[in-house]
Amino acid sequence: MILLDIRNLTLEIESNGVLVKALDKVSLSICEKEIRALVGESGSGKSLIVRAISGSLPPQWIITADRLTWRGQNLLKMSKSERQKIMRRDIAVIFQDPQAALDPSVKLGAQFRESIPNEFINSRWWWQQRAEQNRIAWAQLTRVGIKDVKKCLNSYVHELPDDVCQKFMIAMALVSQPTLLIADDPTRGMETSTKRQIMSLCKNLNRHSDLSILFVSHDLLAISSIAHTITVLYSGQTVEDGPFDSVRRKPFHPYSKALLDSAPSFRPELQPKSPLTALKGTIPTLQHLPIGCRLGPRCPRAQKECVNTPVPRTIHKRQYRCHFPLHIDADENLDGKYEGIDV
Amino acid sequence: MLGTLGRYFNLFFITLFILVGLSFVLAFFFPGDPVFNLTGMSLEELPTSAYTKALADERWFVAFWYYVQSLLDGSWGISTITGLDLFAEISTLLPATIELTAYATIVALLVGIPLGFWCGLKHHRKTDYAFMSISMLMSSFPIFWLSLLLILVVSLQLGWLPMSGRLSLLYDIPHYSGFILLDIYVSDHPYRQEALMDALRHMILPTLSVAFLATAVFLRTTRRAVVDVLEQDYIAAAQTRGIPFWKIFLRHIMRNALLAVLPLLAVQVSTLVTNVMIVETITEWPGIGDWLIQAIYERDYSAIRIGMLVVSTVVVFVTLLIECLSKLFDPTQEQFS
Ligand code: SF4
Repeated sequence: MILLDIRNLTLEIESNGVLVKALDKVSLSICEKEIRALVGESGSGKSLIVRAISGSLPPQWIITADRLTWRGQNLLKMSKSERQKIMRRDIAVIFQDPQAALDPSVKLGAQFRESIPNEFINSRWWWQQRAEQNRIAWAQLTRVGIKDVKKCLNSYVHELPDDVCQKFMIAMALVSQPTLLIADDPTRGMETSTKRQIMSLCKNLNRHSDLSILFVSHDLLAISSIAHTITVLYSGQTVEDGPFDSVRRKPFHPYSKALLDSAPSFRPELQPKSPLTALKGTIPTLQHLPIGCRLGPRCPRAQKECVNTPVPRTIHKRQYRCHFPLHIDADENLDGKYEGIDV
Repeated sequence: MLGTLGRYFNLFFITLFILVGLSFVLAFFFPGDPVFNLTGMSLEELPTSAYTKALADERWFVAFWYYVQSLLDGSWGISTITGLDLFAEISTLLPATIELTAYATIVALLVGIPLGFWCGLKHHRKTDYAFMSISMLMSSFPIFWLSLLLILVVSLQLGWLPMSGRLSLLYDIPHYSGFILLDIYVSDHPYRQEALMDALRHMILPTLSVAFLATAVFLRTTRRAVVDVLEQDYIAAAQTRGIPFWKIFLRHIMRNALLAVLPLLAVQVSTLVTNVMIVETITEWPGIGDWLIQAIYERDYSAIRIGMLVVSTVVVFVTLLIECLSKLFDPTQEQFS
């Protein structure tokens, strides 16, 4: 069953008096027990999607969508309190920078108690309730592998290392027993061992608690071990979507290919220290979005048609938005046009 | 925590020492005899003591040492013009100034901070723009002009409120603490009620003139702090946890915004005191500002010296106190100490 279904989500932001489409017709869906990777460079709008789902975008930004539903209920049409209820019970979000996503002036224990749904607390008096809340907090924090639980609950964010904060945030997100976990680049800037711990935590949760995960990241390597499906985002447009392995073997979209090529371990034949193939240029800023396919100026395959925005096309469970996809017209191979960049 | 207290304690004493030093040195820069400027009397008039001997022999460092001692004793010298004892003078004047400052600050805080929160929550909407323009306008009024205008309109034209002074001469309230409301309260004057009302009526104009500007400043400071907090990730994170907005406001926004506002208020203390002194002169409020400006007119150097020392000590003390408190309240500050 489809949990979260997004069709043609568009987000317009006013920038210097003009409306720009920070997200342009983004489509994405997550089924039960699925782990979906949402990848793209920073600046491609990943976090905006997360905030659009959770409803924490500034009110002056304009969101439109053909569909933005949670289990068939329209998230955009429902009342604030209904939406809060869904966020409280069904969807949980963890953020890339735990230090910034936790209130610096409140002890972690109090923040944790705040996120325990009231339904979980049965006792009558506040001191009993508090004891119960502490028990729950204790159990959750131990479960995600925090060692000194007591210290953690009595500390402020700045007193703890990053990885403990991240685990704390995961524990806090999971306390409401959500069906969907949205992880917004949770491993960014972490050491490999911590990264691995967090990835395996996600994997186990998915396997044993049937948790669906939307894993937002730019780190393909980390994701490859857990993701079932992938959505590639470029500059606010979803460019490709499909089962992870199939996309990895044969990316249709030139951008997916560039992205995959930039993760060295996906190419065992790569000689050590050979230049990293990637696209030239950088992701456009919101003020300078190209018309049509936004990859146009950087795309080695671009042609005249590319000034018209390509429509999504579907082949075997896979979707792409490109006029001249790779691997579909097998005789075309323009690999040579990729620029080598020394790293 | 103790470390923070200790640091501020040190800072206060060092600053105080420098101020005392300055007040001593100033006596030499003022025209006239330094001894006269320091004590209000010439050497011949002074009773002989170790202090006067040091002064007579021009052993200035020793004299400075005795000067510090005499300050601590409360023998601050006499006014060169009126001949009154400066310590006694100031101990009746300072409470009046503190009183006025305190009421104005309370009014400004009670109005400015809630409005600031409201504007911050509604930022970039019409109400916000309206209040921001008003506060801009408010803070750009020169205070002496505003004070005069209020007197002109409210006292002279409409005759609603008395235009100057602190209490009508009809009521003879004995001096007890120098704080007029307290003095009236503890006195056994037969018309205590009436005296209290009269004192309150006298207070309104000066309080409002000072509070007017301070409110504008507090409003803008608070609004900025609220807008900043609203942009923080943890507010968005709390929203994704489905916590209702009023709870987020009470638990996260208010706390963090106030913590950010507090140290900024410390910066405002000196402006506030300056404004109070100006308003005192205009409304003839018997405070230290009025007195000090009189002293300047009359070139009463002995009084100027001590008045400057007292006012700056108060400003330094309050500023440091607020800063110290904000350090103690704010858990995120600990990491720097
Ligand atoms: S539509 Fe054109 S510009 Fe865009 S990715 Fe495809 S080939 Fe490149």
